[in-house]
Amino acid sequence: MKNSLGSTLAYIIMLTLSLLHGEDFTFLRQVDTPDPYVKEGVLLFIDLNQTNPDIVLLFDFDLKASSDYVFRRIDSKESDSYHNAKVHYLYLIYPLKAGDIDIDFRLTKRVTNDESVAYSFSGDRDNVKGLVTKDSNITLPPLKLHVKPLPKGTTLVGDFTLTYALQKKEAVAYEPISFRVTLKGRGYPSLLASLFPKKVPFTLFTEKPIVQKSHSKRGTFSTIVYPMALSSDRNFTTLPITIHAFDPKKERAYTLKVPPETIHIKPIDVNALVDKVDTPPPLHTNWQWLGSVLGYLLAFVSGFATAWFLKWHKRAALPSGHPLEVKIDNAQDKKALLQLLLAQQGPRFSTVIEKLERDLYGKERYTLTSLKKEAKEQLQ
Amino acid sequence: MKKKITQLKNELQKAVIGQEAMIEGLLIGLLCNGHILIEGVPGLAKTTTVNALSKALGLDFKRIQFTPDLLPSDIIGAQIYDPQTHSFSIKKGPLFTNLLLADEINRAPSKVQSALLEVMQERQVTIADESFVLERPFLVMATQNPIEQEGVYALPEAQLDRFMMKLIVTHNSEEEELQIMRKGATKSFADVMQVMDKKSLFALQEELEAIHIDPELERYIIQLISATREPARFKLETLQADIMYGVSPRASIDLYKAARAKAYLRGNDFVTPADIGMVVHDVLRHRIVLSYEARAKGIKSDEVITKIVETVQIP
Repeated sequence: MKNSLGSTLAYIIMLTLSLLHGEDFTFLRQVDTPDPYVKEGVLLFIDLNQTNPDIVLLFDFDLKASSDYVFRRIDSKESDSYHNAKVHYLYLIYPLKAGDIDIDFRLTKRVTNDESVAYSFSGDRDNVKGLVTKDSNITLPPLKLHVKPLPKGTTLVGDFTLTYALQKKEAVAYEPISFRVTLKGRGYPSLLASLFPKKVPFTLFTEKPIVQKSHSKRGTFSTIVYPMALSSDRNFTTLPITIHAFDPKKERAYTLKVPPETIHIKPIDVNALVDKVDTPPPLHTNWQWLGSVLGYLLAFVSGFATAWFLKWHKRAALPSGHPLEVKIDNAQDKKALLQLLLAQQGPRFSTVIEKLERDLYGKERYTLTSLKKEAKEQLQ
Repeated sequence: MKKKITQLKNELQKAVIGQEAMIEGLLIGLLCNGHILIEGVPGLAKTTTVNALSKALGLDFKRIQFTPDLLPSDIIGAQIYDPQTHSFSIKKGPLFTNLLLADEINRAPSKVQSALLEVMQERQVTIADESFVLERPFLVMATQNPIEQEGVYALPEAQLDRFMMKLIVTHNSEEEELQIMRKGATKSFADVMQVMDKKSLFALQEELEAIHIDPELERYIIQLISATREPARFKLETLQADIMYGVSPRASIDLYKAARAKAYLRGNDFVTPADIGMVVHDVLRHRIVLSYEARAKGIKSDEVITKIVETVQIP
């Protein structure tokens, strides 16, 4: 691995040297592997050097984020001189897809002068004075990488080792047995969704993997621990774990394996697991719950029946027709009918009332039946 | 004179479609010098009708929009200091008019509503230590909205008792609503013209005095009133628990006057039981104080009156 990286560094190829004349600085970029494999670490060296000493120059540089790659700035050196700015950045890039991809840059040139710098420094915590700069965005050509595809079925890229630790091979029923699988090495730190298939002949408890990683010129060194616990009430064998990996530096595909392990389970008396000290067995069977259930049931049924009975009773008590219609039918004489109609609000019965008035206190005559009929018609 | 009444009704119908019961009630109030409380949901032409009535009568008309921050002095007036003459002068309030429209009277607190007590009964106003007799006729026509619960204040019983009638305005029929819609959309409501003046109004009121009422009917009125106070005496035991307070003697006077006015408007020169029956709900409904139990049961004072009229024998 070490030799491989050394030879790679020696094999640094100057891809592009761009002198941006008239822009007061030079921009240099170098990449160590112009045609990497997918998820193979690529080192990108960036140098920005000021060429015009008459101005104070500041740089704001970074790579643009993309779904085609991930990157991390792993080294940065910047000179303190205001008239001779020198910036050196080192990036570690992992391409994520095969084919030609573009690494895009974002660069802002910030020009200022000594007076402005002095002014900004004259401020203090309570009187902040900003640095006034004239900013301009510089368009840089993208860096093109030709990314080679991985062999089929590869899930891990880099130089990794796989170890595991099984707490014990003999346990009692339902006892959790610790099982830790550790993936350690240099390369793209892939997190595997699951080491075992979905259906296993035992109970599997999993946790979020513990990840430790560090980035350097030599790539990303990571340790990923998958903590698990296995449990069952009978003997079982763990399923083998197989990870297909590829080392791009050696251009070698290899397989990491965890062999199956057989766990012997001793049966246990379930009653022995019951806490008889804090929860002693009852002296007699408690049927109180049945009484409560029957009580609730009785309350519900009686409430329901009462509501139903009241509704039925109210409906039965109601006369079949309009209540006023019944009263009109029951009116014994014309005076009683007049009294009944006068008691009703509104001008609904005004015609009948007037006829009744003319009959009772005047000379006109109407039959009680006809007046009742007319009143009932008004009701509709 | 009866022609004048017809003309007045015709003029009112130019501005208001339908609502004959409300117009009839307002005319009864006008003829009897009685104050009217009109209750109805918004948009039923309560204010429009009162406005049209004032125009048709050529009376001085003022409107007060009752609001929660209104003060008694905003209605009756106040004594104001004049710095030039170093003396106090009286600034009369909007109460000094013939027709006073108290719009949405229940929006003002009882303090303000009570400012109307003296003027409604005595028809005089006292500002500081000076009393002013109001010019005849003086009528308060108040409107209130029954559906609002927030920011409204129930009228005190003493105040309610001073209203001769409480008219309940309901929605128009579909046919009337169609006319309102068409006229409202085309803005074709005709202007109300003056058809009467104070003189002719006083003459109508004098004619009303000539309406005959039989002593038996007078007794019938008293029985109706008594039934609200002692329902059990009239075999209305079921109402005993529903009524907390029966109506006051003002109710007897107002029912008597309203029945005569109703007979006059119907073109008769004598009162019949029908005239009494036609106004009894309007005169009594706001005066009966229902018990808490009755209100909890959802009983309305109109239902109580209906039971009383159904039970008390007509002569």
